[in-house]
Amino acid sequence: MKFSALFLLLVSLNTSALAAETESAKLWLEQLSKSLRELNFTTSFVVVKNNQAEPYHWLHGISEKGQELEIFSRLNGPRRDILRQGDIVSYIEPEQEPYSIISHHVQSPIPTIFRGDFSELEENYRFISVGRSRVLGRVAQLVRIVAKDNYRFSYWLWLDQQTGLLLKMAILTRQGLLLEQIQFTHIEVSEQLSGSLVQFQSSELPEIIKLNNQHENRVLAWQVDWLPQGFTVIKSNQHNLNSHNQGDNKAVEFMLFSDGLVEISVYVNLSPENFRAPEYASDGATTVFNHIVQGIEVGIVGDIPLATAKKIAESIVPATKDNAINNVQRSVREPQDD
Amino acid sequence: MSEIKSESISSLVDNYSLSTDHSISAHLVDNMLKDEHLSSTWQNYHLIGDVLRDEVPQSLQLDLSKTISDAIAQEATILSPNSSTQTSGQAIAKSNELSSDYVAGKNTETKQGTNLVIDATNRFKARVSNFVKPMGQIAIAASAAALMIVGVQHNVAETPSSVTPSQIVQTMPLAGYANPVSFSLQSPQNEPSKLQNQKAMNEQLAAERVAQQRRLHALLKDHNQQVKLGSNIK
Repeated sequence: MKFSALFLLLVSLNTSALAAETESAKLWLEQLSKSLRELNFTTSFVVVKNNQAEPYHWLHGISEKGQELEIFSRLNGPRRDILRQGDIVSYIEPEQEPYSIISHHVQSPIPTIFRGDFSELEENYRFISVGRSRVLGRVAQLVRIVAKDNYRFSYWLWLDQQTGLLLKMAILTRQGLLLEQIQFTHIEVSEQLSGSLVQFQSSELPEIIKLNNQHENRVLAWQVDWLPQGFTVIKSNQHNLNSHNQGDNKAVEFMLFSDGLVEISVYVNLSPENFRAPEYASDGATTVFNHIVQGIEVGIVGDIPLATAKKIAESIVPATKDNAINNVQRSVREPQDD
Repeated sequence: MSEIKSESISSLVDNYSLSTDHSISAHLVDNMLKDEHLSSTWQNYHLIGDVLRDEVPQSLQLDLSKTISDAIAQEATILSPNSSTQTSGQAIAKSNELSSDYVAGKNTETKQGTNLVIDATNRFKARVSNFVKPMGQIAIAASAAALMIVGVQHNVAETPSSVTPSQIVQTMPLAGYANPVSFSLQSPQNEPSKLQNQKAMNEQLAAERVAQQRRLHALLKDHNQQVKLGSNIK
């Protein structure tokens, strides 16, 4: 059995060998997703980016009612917590009153897809099981999520051989440049719900906010002509881009795209200036890009390479009259949000 | 037979030992080192693995070790003038005494074969180099010291000049939400004697940077907020 597999490997780089490696990686990722949903764990990790390290606590557990409970809290600086009871996600932040929303998505350092269905990513990423190493004093399995094209970053995950939980994560460019890292410093899996979660399960979350949907999914004046393959529109709207402390609110047309793993925000508005050279900044793997060309200001934000952001920004064109939204989504439509 | 070996090599490549017995893998490695066929198999497996993992370098150098050993073989052998030239006289004397000693005997053989004039020049060279060496070292040390002095002076001269932003976009302030960027701290502290319009220009530049920083930060913040609210609309 093993012999024949080896023979195939010897003869050529055939697809079945590749599939075998992918298959094992997929099993690992499924195990990760399952563990993140079903285990009671208490962990600490550090996000390393821009030469800074931010420590976090991350607790997860299943309540007696079978509901998922989750707490992310940032340990340095002002309090910034994410609480989750099932589908209700609460954000506690210094800038605003605490609020809750009903969402499957949690905006934490750990991508939401990790506890979701990895097969959604298969179209644009390859999964490769690489080998074993030692992380956090445990035997870890290294699995790479490698972008199939040049327009995205790759993710390396070190998973605990025993539990399948995440031990380390790294975001790299295709050239192998490290952009952002998450290193776990402590992991504890228990049968019982941990003390803080027992307390949390009976506590009340902040009020659920209702978004006024009147501006949502309106036909926009601009459209994106080019996106990396596999990005779909999550939403589009018009809102004010408020830079809190200074009163210069400006209305922007906004589109949010996702390929399942990363999100890209596109902002378009008319500007009194005619031209401004491209400016950009990066926060770990997140690129922020902004320019004005012919009086149109375009901003792109997302965990994508700068070249991708630039290419998207340059592809902004006035929407054709017939149906702007359909045009935006034409390459990448799914029937879900009609 | 060789198939079984290939399989064990494959396991070794995967860092996966069939048995827990380390002596077997050690034995295999020994075999591999001896057997050219086996070692090429080892190489091929690694290459296959690299291709599968998408780790192949841009230019594929198929057999690096061979190229290197070829290059070494073609390299001219450098014979440094060894200290034996200075002591060859003694060696000759010695060899007369201990003719049975093989090494010394060989030494005399070669030395006697070569011209004695060359021997003399070598000795002279050696003496010169012995004399020149410390001089050279002193010269290097002196020039390094001189460079350092120049460098320090240059540095000292550089610092008081006006602070100009070297980086167009500062990424650091974006990282922590907690620390808002305060550019007032960075405003150039020019002496009153400095030109007014220089100051104005610096201020304009700083203001431009603040505005840019603000724009990018606002975008990043809104992005994060929108992602949080993302799936609310469905």
